[in-house]
Amino acid sequence: MTEPTSTAAAPEAPPDRGTLRRPSEAVVPLGVVAAVVVAIVLVYAVGDRATDLVTQSVVTGLLLGGVYALVSVGLTLIFGVLGIVNFAQGAMLTMAMYLVYEMTSSGGLPVYVAMLLAVPIMFVFGVVVQVALLNKLTLSGSHEGPLLVTLGLSLLIINVLLMIFGGRPLRVPGSVDGSLEIFGAVASYERLIAFAGALLVAAALLLFLRRTSFGMSIRAVAANAEGASLVGVDVRRIYALTFGIGAACVAVAGGLMAPFLSLTPTVGEQFTILAFVIVVLGGLGSVTGALLGGLIIGLVQTVGALYFPGTGSLILVFAVFVLVLFFRPQGIIGAAS
Amino acid sequence: MTALTDRPGRPTTVATDDPRLRDRSAARSYTVLAVLVAVLAVLPFFLDDQTETVAVRTLIFAIMAVGWNLMSGYGGMFSFGHAAFFGIGAYTGAYLLVEHGVSPWISMVVGAVISAAAGCLIAFLCLRYKLAGSYFALATFAFAMVFLLSVQNLDVLHRTEGFNVPILSEDSWTMMQWKAGSPLYFWIPLGILAVGLIGTIAFVHSRTGQYAQAVRDDEVAAASLGIPVMRVRLITVAASCALTSLAGSFYTQYYFFVGPEQAFGSAVSVNAIMPAVIGGIGTIWGPLVGALIVGPLSEWIADILREPPGFLSFLEGLSGLDVAVYATLLILIVLFMPKGIYGTLRDRFRS
Amino acid sequence: MKKLPLAVVGLLGALALSACGGYEPADDEVVIGSVHPLTGALAGQGEMMHEGAQLAVDDLNAAGGIESLGGDQLVLRAGDSKGTADAGQVEAQRLVSEGAVALIGTYQSDVTANVSAVAERNRVPLVIDVAVDDVILEQGYEHTFRIQPNASSMGRDGAKALAELSAANGKPVRKVSYLHIEGAFGQSVHDAFAEEAEKEGIEMVSEVTYPATNFTDATTQVREALAADPDVLAVTGYYPDSLLIAQAIRALGGDVDAVYGVANGGFDDSAFPADAGAAGADVLSANYHYAATDERAQDIRARFEQKYGRTMETSAMLAYQAVVVIAQGLEETGSKDPEELRDAIAGLQVEDPLLEFGGPIAFDETGENENASVTVMQVRDGRIEQVFPDQFKTADIVYPVGR
Repeated sequence: MTEPTSTAAAPEAPPDRGTLRRPSEAVVPLGVVAAVVVAIVLVYAVGDRATDLVTQSVVTGLLLGGVYALVSVGLTLIFGVLGIVNFAQGAMLTMAMYLVYEMTSSGGLPVYVAMLLAVPIMFVFGVVVQVALLNKLTLSGSHEGPLLVTLGLSLLIINVLLMIFGGRPLRVPGSVDGSLEIFGAVASYERLIAFAGALLVAAALLLFLRRTSFGMSIRAVAANAEGASLVGVDVRRIYALTFGIGAACVAVAGGLMAPFLSLTPTVGEQFTILAFVIVVLGGLGSVTGALLGGLIIGLVQTVGALYFPGTGSLILVFAVFVLVLFFRPQGIIGAAS
Repeated sequence: MTALTDRPGRPTTVATDDPRLRDRSAARSYTVLAVLVAVLAVLPFFLDDQTETVAVRTLIFAIMAVGWNLMSGYGGMFSFGHAAFFGIGAYTGAYLLVEHGVSPWISMVVGAVISAAAGCLIAFLCLRYKLAGSYFALATFAFAMVFLLSVQNLDVLHRTEGFNVPILSEDSWTMMQWKAGSPLYFWIPLGILAVGLIGTIAFVHSRTGQYAQAVRDDEVAAASLGIPVMRVRLITVAASCALTSLAGSFYTQYYFFVGPEQAFGSAVSVNAIMPAVIGGIGTIWGPLVGALIVGPLSEWIADILREPPGFLSFLEGLSGLDVAVYATLLILIVLFMPKGIYGTLRDRFRS
Repeated sequence: MKKLPLAVVGLLGALALSACGGYEPADDEVVIGSVHPLTGALAGQGEMMHEGAQLAVDDLNAAGGIESLGGDQLVLRAGDSKGTADAGQVEAQRLVSEGAVALIGTYQSDVTANVSAVAERNRVPLVIDVAVDDVILEQGYEHTFRIQPNASSMGRDGAKALAELSAANGKPVRKVSYLHIEGAFGQSVHDAFAEEAEKEGIEMVSEVTYPATNFTDATTQVREALAADPDVLAVTGYYPDSLLIAQAIRALGGDVDAVYGVANGGFDDSAFPADAGAAGADVLSANYHYAATDERAQDIRARFEQKYGRTMETSAMLAYQAVVVIAQGLEETGSKDPEELRDAIAGLQVEDPLLEFGGPIAFDETGENENASVTVMQVRDGRIEQVFPDQFKTADIVYPVGR
């Protein structure tokens, strides 16, 4: 992330260590989690809503949040390492879902197998996009260039999908039916699988970033691209791989979500906006932050809907976004500048 | 030219007072603008009704792009939520007209003032908290979304139903309504565009405009030179939002209907950005050139899609082709002609 | 000065390009303009509706065209609203400039509002095939007509139908929970339903709304609606959200006498039973519907499927009907003048409508079809059947549904 020195802009997040070493660093995230827990307890106690309804909204919110986190994890990596606001994240999610659709309907594959096949395809797509379209701009440190290119890319992807598949809502046949009861709340298996998938992906990414040399290179480039290249890291390659990983994450998200969503070319757009909120809330480049942020936003949306039905809860989400942007732009897991 | 002989005995002390150094490009730009307006003004007499609607739509795009360009191109503050200001203009006009019968001319001005104030507030908050670059863009995007959602939830603004402008049986200057196809529907946005371009030219050559560009290029250096950074930025933002708001107010009067999506939708923000980027950010004529390309282009593509020539018959009725073409154009321009079509051509002609 | 030629040339060139390709109707042609979303997210619906109108035009031409105009042939010209109001406006204007004597469209309420203004200002009749908001015909416009029932009349009829059919099946409904999409559409249907329901002695025990965007899990809202222990859960929304709701009801094991869609865009769509699977079984839907009991309508649907390779939904049938209305208006007036056509349409009685209405199509002073009514459908054995009122039955109703 090369920023012009004159603007004290986006504070750089420290490389994601997964576990925080210094106790003071844990204060903010723990504090936020505590605040959320307190808020939920308050809703139960004095919120004037039926208990089982609150439980349902909490469970739905967490499951939803897991899915949001899945989409955001790729975005936060891209944002953190490349400094690119990837407006095409939702479009890539849609693309992944259509890939899965195509494989399940024409190829007859079960949906989760199709998802596993979609991952490498989307990875390659991400690499190609970065190399062909974005590398030049990223290396020159331009802010607006990548923004505009990803905006154009998102429009392009959506409309090509529209040209190929048409606008009618499509369904990907699910593999698993039925639901589980948790403390009186109902959770469908498909959504539980998606939630588990989100946790797995987050864990896998954290391990990758911490334990492998590639991961270290990525973190190095995120912290200081120039420095990293000076010690021999091939920055261009890291950029390409990072975008590829971001796309691969979104492929997993798409595959896990396809069974319970109606597929239209614009289905991913609603996630783009929320993903931005989550990434800023969680902290640039922080996988743990994306996970936490996703869960929080999911909860805000569903529990908030108990009091502000309809788009009211969305306004709440954006209010959170604006507050975070103003008062703690480095997010939950980010060092104060 | 003859300053030294004009003032015998006392040489000029300040460089800008020396007529030999006077910047003639402002005068040139104004002349170009005057000729352009004159040529365009006669256009309505040559266009049929349908092409006139395309032309008016192009003019609206141009106004929005010129407005956006002030703040994002010259000011360096990339706004991804310009729909917020377009929408304020559109809804102010609609609300005041439908609920209180206020003349659209007045509500245009009111809308511009509210828009400028809103823009300044948003920009002030963002800049005060040191948001720049991508964060600023995201913040403006978020604000536009908040406006959209809020309008959809407010009864006083008719929630999702929007406003319908009552159709009058007679032409009316006070209510800005004439029969369908009247050339006035072309001349008014042309006038607003001219005002916007005059404003841009004046701004670019003014001290404030020079300061704004200096701040854009290097904020710290500019501040160290004593330039009032925040004030310069806010003035730029105010002008940008006010102009975009005028486009919105006219939109309501021309289309007779405005709803949350038409006013505050993200497609509106994209419409403000695309022409400016394609034509040339940070140039006077770039946004206009871009609008001239983007506006009629969609009609042209639609024509082709409707009745494609033989070798393109597979394109017939293909959904989404026009946006796909724009999007590709946008990407190509950003990658290969970052100064935009006009900007790149201008530089080539100069060298 | 170098900039000047560039700009002017560019401008003139661009406008010249867009100006070419105009259409002039021939003397023995009558042009109808069809404005629908042919591209964009709603293209599937829009194309289908345009095809429905085209089939009507073909059928009428094959039968000899417009007799009172000496056998003039109808021509249907397509306008693409792209799903946005501005594009719809431009297209409507273009079609009118190119000689359309009437317009049909547009599927979306906000686009229709815009096109309706164009129709009014150009004094050309617009016959709405699909657009639900009441407000469109509350502007005092004289040139817009609507065949389908509007939002509030569907709410009212839906409530009446529910009261009747539940009583007729031995378990009169007493408590209703209403789950609907946020916004003008959902709200106005609900309000009309609630008002009528209370007159029928039904208690509205809960109203739950959900957002139009970012809605991917209905479990909490459905749960809230079911918490009030209703006899019937009424739902108003569009296809994707209604699908989510049906699934959530099943997952929660909701024990209600019926799930009852009112003006619901999903529950009687032919793709719904397959997409929803077990969650869609026995779901009821009170909505306007093509006349499944009418042989002519059946024939039209069969030929549509043969020609276009897809199922003819009610929206396409409405487009077909709109063309028929215009054609009948032309027959009556024997003139291509849009104003006279408008007057003829205003006074028409179109017998044998292709939709299950209680009487001929006839427009009141605001342009609404006086005899538009709703039919109640039910998903039975993976198919959409009409179950109420009896005169339109294609299968027996199951009420209360065994869940």
